[in-house]
Amino acid sequence: MKETLMGNDAIAWGLIHADVEMVSGYPGTPSSEILGMVQKIKSKLKLPVYAEWATNEKVGFEVAYAGAIAGKRTAATMKQVGLNVASDALMSAAYIGNRGGFLLIAADDPGFHSSQTEQDSRVFAKFARIPVLDPSTPQDAYDMTRYGVELSERFETPVMLRPVMRVCHAREIIEMEDATDFHPKEGKFVRNIPRWAAVPRDGRLQQGYEALDRIEAIAAYNWAEHLKPRFDALEGKSDVLILASGTGYAFTREAMEELEVEADLVKVEMPYPLPVEEIRKRFEAYEKVLVVEEPYPCIEEQVMDPAKVHGRLDKTMNRIDEMKKEHILEAFKKLGLYEGKNIYAPKLTFSIDVPPRPPALCPGCPHRDIYYAIMKVFKKSKSIYPSDIGCYTLALAQGAIDTILCMGASVSMASGLSLADPSKTVVATIGDGTFFHSGIPPLINAVYQGHRFILVILDNSTIAMTGRQVTPERFNQTLDIGRIVEGMGIKCYEHTYSHEMHKNIDFFKGIKKIFESEEHQGPLVVRVRQFCILDNERKDDWVPGEYAVVDPELCVACDQCTTVYKCPPMAYNAEGKIEIDPFLCAGCGGCLEIVCPTDAFKLDEEKSGGKQ
Amino acid sequence: MKYQIVIAGFGGQGVVFLVKVLALCAGNRDLKFLGTENHGMSQRGGAVSCDIKIGDFSNPVIDRGQADLLIGLDANEALRNLQLLKEGGHVVSNAQDPFPEGLPFQVHTIDANAQALAGEFPIQGLNVFMLGVTLATVPDFPFSIEEIETALRQINAKVADQNIEVLHHALADAREMGE
Repeated sequence: MKETLMGNDAIAWGLIHADVEMVSGYPGTPSSEILGMVQKIKSKLKLPVYAEWATNEKVGFEVAYAGAIAGKRTAATMKQVGLNVASDALMSAAYIGNRGGFLLIAADDPGFHSSQTEQDSRVFAKFARIPVLDPSTPQDAYDMTRYGVELSERFETPVMLRPVMRVCHAREIIEMEDATDFHPKEGKFVRNIPRWAAVPRDGRLQQGYEALDRIEAIAAYNWAEHLKPRFDALEGKSDVLILASGTGYAFTREAMEELEVEADLVKVEMPYPLPVEEIRKRFEAYEKVLVVEEPYPCIEEQVMDPAKVHGRLDKTMNRIDEMKKEHILEAFKKLGLYEGKNIYAPKLTFSIDVPPRPPALCPGCPHRDIYYAIMKVFKKSKSIYPSDIGCYTLALAQGAIDTILCMGASVSMASGLSLADPSKTVVATIGDGTFFHSGIPPLINAVYQGHRFILVILDNSTIAMTGRQVTPERFNQTLDIGRIVEGMGIKCYEHTYSHEMHKNIDFFKGIKKIFESEEHQGPLVVRVRQFCILDNERKDDWVPGEYAVVDPELCVACDQCTTVYKCPPMAYNAEGKIEIDPFLCAGCGGCLEIVCPTDAFKLDEEKSGGKQ
Repeated sequence: MKYQIVIAGFGGQGVVFLVKVLALCAGNRDLKFLGTENHGMSQRGGAVSCDIKIGDFSNPVIDRGQADLLIGLDANEALRNLQLLKEGGHVVSNAQDPFPEGLPFQVHTIDANAQALAGEFPIQGLNVFMLGVTLATVPDFPFSIEEIETALRQINAKVADQNIEVLHHALADAREMGE
């Protein structure tokens, strides 16, 4: 059956067609749609599948891994930085192994499109000593998902599938199974204390030896099944051999066609473990070897021969950022494979000035108003604003954020910053999703050690940035953030977002007073109940439908709204006055008071009529 | 056949919807299709562009100087992506002001925002409107009006009639422009 699928959808179908029955994970671009699609298939076909978001990647990994210990076929999904969170579990699971197939899907993001690092999960697989598969297209992703589950079961080891953004978010017409014949395995935990509960030193050392033997066996299998047939089929077209993996293969194939370059090209489907000796023997027939892969030199480091191998390490290819065919063209030139012109050079000889469109919070997003209120009350010159990973990170555009590190770090960094610079008031912000993910342990730490800062939990009841996945609290209301905070023995101050700006400002004025009073000690936690403007289930209860227009007589072009408030519909027109784009304004009414020093924002009575 | 299309706009304009429509068109004719999305962290209002490659390709990204066609739902986003066009390629864009003189491309602009403001079509139909303008102005566009209509019915039968109405509105407007 042919279907137009996004890579992540193809992976989801691959899991179902591999009889994977438990899928757990945490959303993160570009991996998020995988689990969401499994949930859709589950409800469409009424399959007995467990497909749920975990509180974080480590939890998600462990839930799925335990299922595989009990003999079921399972998978965990996350983005590459999420794997950092799950890495503790992964490193040990690689020693212990599994009975049912266990596929770890870690999606990479070469080019930093929406990630704070460009780390290569294939290198993580190598570090953990588990096999990794690197698909180059959505079709590959579907096929390798099924293959990876089988491989994991055959060798009783976790297997990683590592798609990159250009696979996850690519769309392709793919060939997949016509029918879903779903046969999950029976879950049965078989007690085996020396294996499942191996302890240092002897137990784990023994498993370490077994893991080494296993990875050696898989390298030999990789040679026999994948690489040898490909090397045997080579025709000796040139004195340069190209090894390419994942998107590197797809880019290389296309560049070769477009540049009419003839060379032997080997697709590496499993970049680790590699049968290094066998591969190096094949190098003998060539003068040079080019490795094309991204984002790190994973294959290149394994097969390294400084006299022959070229790639990222010797700067023949780009060292960082997403690969382009132009990089491959340059590499071909350096290795003498191509002498023609740069067909990827721009055809436009002069530059056109286009105003940048920096990332910003959505029009109508309540985060903007809350950050505005925080900055009004806790002046920038007297405060430090650590923040976290989520939509609200985009309040950077308002100048409302000073530090970003990783999930949950706003809380622990608020501790550190308050200790290091007590002259400032530290006001940290974190979303409800991130608070559940990894904000709770650092808050316990701060309470126990009495660190003085304000933590504002922006509770919009959704994991907004990755596509509005459900939060634990929304799914099960017994998980109340206020009660979790109060369980630490401190008060949780509550505020409900208002589109009337003075109410938000007045609330934070009150918080400032409490925080500065002599009775207050330790961290002060605030939870702001709000919504996501894209959340169709909830937004109508919050958005007043008050659209704004600008009175050009009053606008003095002071830049307040375009710098500190920063709502995308607001921009200068040809007359040098602010104008609101009627197509973009969400009718939140947030700008109608206080935001403009000359009160130039007025209610558009005509447009707002009937909606109030 | 090999044909590369870039669609540029900002979040909320329905760029990805057009990708899905064109994927259906390709699938209906059994043509190979690869596409990808480029966007930053913004959910709404951020720059979005999509690369669409129809025919025998192996990677979904369009490099500079390669695209046959650029459809701009927003003038600035079209200008930002001009470097992807091949020499003599077509750019069809929603734009209030004319594009700079001397571009090595075939330029077709239309002030679709003004039309939407005047109530000629709902602004949510901007994506389909620009597809209609493309159909009317780009002779080597790989799909016919009928093929687009079929895909619009497949993708969402409920709003297909409205979408097809916008499509024909655009076709009529663009033809008038050409006369």
